[in-house]
Amino acid sequence: MKILVVDDSITMRRIIVNHLKQGGYNNVIEAGNGVEAISHMAGVDLLLTDWNMPVMDGLTLVKEIRKSPTFSSVPIIMITTEGAKAEVLEALKNGVNDYIVKPFSKGTLAEKIQKVME
Amino acid sequence: MEVQYINPFISAMNKTLETMLGILPKRGQPYLKNNKITEGDISGLIGFAEKNIIGSVAISFPQETALFVYEKMTGDKLTTLNRDVQDSIGELANIVAGSAKTILSGKGLSFHISIPTVIVGKNHHISHKAETPIVVIPFHLQDFTFIMEVTMKISKQLSD
Repeated sequence: MKILVVDDSITMRRIIVNHLKQGGYNNVIEAGNGVEAISHMAGVDLLLTDWNMPVMDGLTLVKEIRKSPTFSSVPIIMITTEGAKAEVLEALKNGVNDYIVKPFSKGTLAEKIQKVME
Repeated sequence: MEVQYINPFISAMNKTLETMLGILPKRGQPYLKNNKITEGDISGLIGFAEKNIIGSVAISFPQETALFVYEKMTGDKLTTLNRDVQDSIGELANIVAGSAKTILSGKGLSFHISIPTVIVGKNHHISHKAETPIVVIPFHLQDFTFIMEVTMKISKQLSD
């Protein structure tokens, strides 16, 4: 399974990639914003994206993916500091499959991935 | 600043470090800041604003604490406050501010937070925008120390 991790923080990408590799997911690629993410979407089975990023934010990325004829069915988990109820609902309304609020544990990430990939 | 506005930041810090580092920090006695110089070598600063709210939170670390935190977060051992460490301190400030924002939004206080600014250097200055007292909360993280500075000017009361 090929996973794309999108976050403008290199630290957060490293944490997520470490968690994924410890969970046995070794085919992981990274992007620092939504525009970079779109250019890396070929063959991606799961997208993990932050919300607040420069150039193109995560919510715009989700909208772009959902209207893409090629990538619209790729599962998306948003991983963000935006934890207010209204924001979670907005993300879900726009096509996010699941939502993780930072800070999060390795176990939470593994559970959410398992759930959306069922 | 009232305790009800400070406690969400302390809870957010505890939750963030316990989840990301596996260590629950010990809080010291808060005090009011009486100058602009910060004790740490590196700080992550986040501003927040809304119609009735202006404020900021800064997390300041001595170099050895910042390197310890970075190693615990990523598994990598570094010896200088390079760009990766700076990014990690900015992200930590972002998560703490976001987590406090979530707690406060549940109490009817909503605001936007800025992207993090990271400042590096001995005895650096932090300019908090709100003209209100700055509360400094010292923390111990095992054998290491750091501080969090919080200031917030609010013209609306929290709901219970």
